[in-house]
Amino acid sequence: MVEKFKKSKIMEKYSIFIVLIFMVVICSLLDKNFLTKNNLTNVARQLAVGTILAYGEMILIISGMLDLSAGSVLALAGVLSVSFYKATGSLIGAFLIAILVAVICNLINAVMITNFKAPPFIATLAMMTVARGAALLYTKGQNILQLGKYVVFGQGDILGIPTPIIFLAVITVIIYYLLRHTALGRSLYAIGGNEEASIASGINVKLVKYKVFIINGILVGIAGVLFMSRVNAGLPNGAVGYEMEGLTAAIVGGTSFSGGIGTTMGTLAGSFIIGSLNNIMNLTGVDSYVQQIVKGAIIALAVIWDIRSKSKKTSKVILVEEKQDKQLNLNLN
Amino acid sequence: MKKRLIAMGLTAIMAMSLLVGCGSGGSNNTSSETPAKDETKKSGYRVAYIARAQSDSFAAWLANEIMAEAGEYDDITLDVFDGQADDEKENTAIENAISSKYDAIIVQPNNGEAQRPYVEKVVQNGIIAITTNARIDGIEGASSVDADPYKQAAVNATLALEQIPENARVVVLNGPSGNFHADERRKAWQAEFFDKRPDVKIVAEDFANWNKDEAMALMEDWVIAHGEIDAIISMNDNMAAGALEVVAGKPGYEDIFVYGVDGTAEALLLIQEGKMTATCLQSAIDLSELILDTAHRLLTGEEKQIDTDIAAPLITKDNVDEYIKIYKERGLITE
Repeated sequence: MVEKFKKSKIMEKYSIFIVLIFMVVICSLLDKNFLTKNNLTNVARQLAVGTILAYGEMILIISGMLDLSAGSVLALAGVLSVSFYKATGSLIGAFLIAILVAVICNLINAVMITNFKAPPFIATLAMMTVARGAALLYTKGQNILQLGKYVVFGQGDILGIPTPIIFLAVITVIIYYLLRHTALGRSLYAIGGNEEASIASGINVKLVKYKVFIINGILVGIAGVLFMSRVNAGLPNGAVGYEMEGLTAAIVGGTSFSGGIGTTMGTLAGSFIIGSLNNIMNLTGVDSYVQQIVKGAIIALAVIWDIRSKSKKTSKVILVEEKQDKQLNLNLN
Repeated sequence: MKKRLIAMGLTAIMAMSLLVGCGSGGSNNTSSETPAKDETKKSGYRVAYIARAQSDSFAAWLANEIMAEAGEYDDITLDVFDGQADDEKENTAIENAISSKYDAIIVQPNNGEAQRPYVEKVVQNGIIAITTNARIDGIEGASSVDADPYKQAAVNATLALEQIPENARVVVLNGPSGNFHADERRKAWQAEFFDKRPDVKIVAEDFANWNKDEAMALMEDWVIAHGEIDAIISMNDNMAAGALEVVAGKPGYEDIFVYGVDGTAEALLLIQEGKMTATCLQSAIDLSELILDTAHRLLTGEEKQIDTDIAAPLITKDNVDEYIKIYKERGLITE
């Protein structure tokens, strides 16, 4: 019985990674090109933007909120950043502008949600339309071209490793550390789990929520720079719907919509599961319509598997406790 | 209590602004009812332009050019409404324009069949109706101005017939499924090229929905899956540019042939640099001039009904410079 307990604990903790390994194995069997260095590098590079957004969604969902404006704010930050670079020639300045713009938008989100108690869904939905409109207004709906050296962010490489992957790796480490080893990280889980209790235990919930949105802003800003430099254009209507992809990756990776649950590695795994799926279907030439159906089905399956493997733990615990209770009663009697 | 009221008030204002934004559409004038800056014009004709969407760059360019062109006419006041790529919203915008009693309504359909009954309503209400990009065929009493998407692709396909090497391996990038222009262009490529060159193999084909980033992601995977690719055949320039982004200058792809449609600034620059082979110009400038000219003739009663097309010129390295010059003059290309 103790052995069964251990096995279920492994399943519960690592279930999503088991899904990921399973996917990688299947994909490598379906196409010999899947496990090549070139292809895996491609997949990682394609996933960088989406995964960074997914981290932002993850930390927000853990603390009981979410962000529907990520794609639009990414576009706004991106086009302003590109424009700044074209005007000044400063790569660092352009990078910082993207972060600044995204942080400002997210601070507005934070004010609406924290000070005015607007539901995060509505507040970020409003920001989604406002930011998109602003991006289109600024560019008059046209793409900004001739980016020059700006592309180094998304198309360059350091020691042979593409820059988007380096950004992703560094950000993954930072977010991991934030969630696991800082008081802020712990307070996110607390607030998401039970906001009243967190207030009661002395957590400055308002301040934490502001900080979370600022972090999300930084992530979205960086994603904006990577996106625009990858496509070599300032696209005001780019990244439409990317917030949904970020949300999906976070949820598939084990983040719970009810708050208080989620891990960095899980989100990373979730993102790679979806990304590998897209990749293998392109490599094997699966019809576009079939791709959509398959994608939806696999996402649903991955999440159901994940939830079931977690609930098994709960039911086993109850059984064990019951039995222990019975034994206790026997001894006492 | 106070906070609740403020929160409710703010939410209500946001919701209202969303509705207002959706309903009347994004007119570039400050108000859609009484455009302030046009009051100084002589009382003339009021024209409504219902754009399919102002967020796709061609539609946005066309809207901008139509507004600029309308400024050249003393007796025309133009208001632009945004269908936001949504049939419901576009149809509502058409109905609103009818109620506002415009003298002429120009419709750029999102989906021809969805807008058909509403354009018919325009005619029934005695208002001049013009459909454009893409025209809606066969509406009694309505006029149309368009470019012929079949021709736009055919000029590229004819060039490709002589340029693409024997037994070539090509990839095809399509526009949104069911989109009239996307379908017609693909038809042209099939009839004018693929049917005539059975030796050419399509190693991969997919929808990139006119988008650069989608085309990029597809091409990255296709390069891995298929290695040698001799040509990129794209139904528009954005997608061609996206695919080109992946392979331009990379060893083994120096001689890749790339074909698109639209003649965007980006494509012209790529052709000038020798990276892209050819495109067909879909000039929003020409289109807007023809639209306003057609509208004016109908408004003044000079003609009762007009169906007309703009040209579909092929742009290659040989003539790209003159088109870049035009773009520079219009400020669409800087430096």
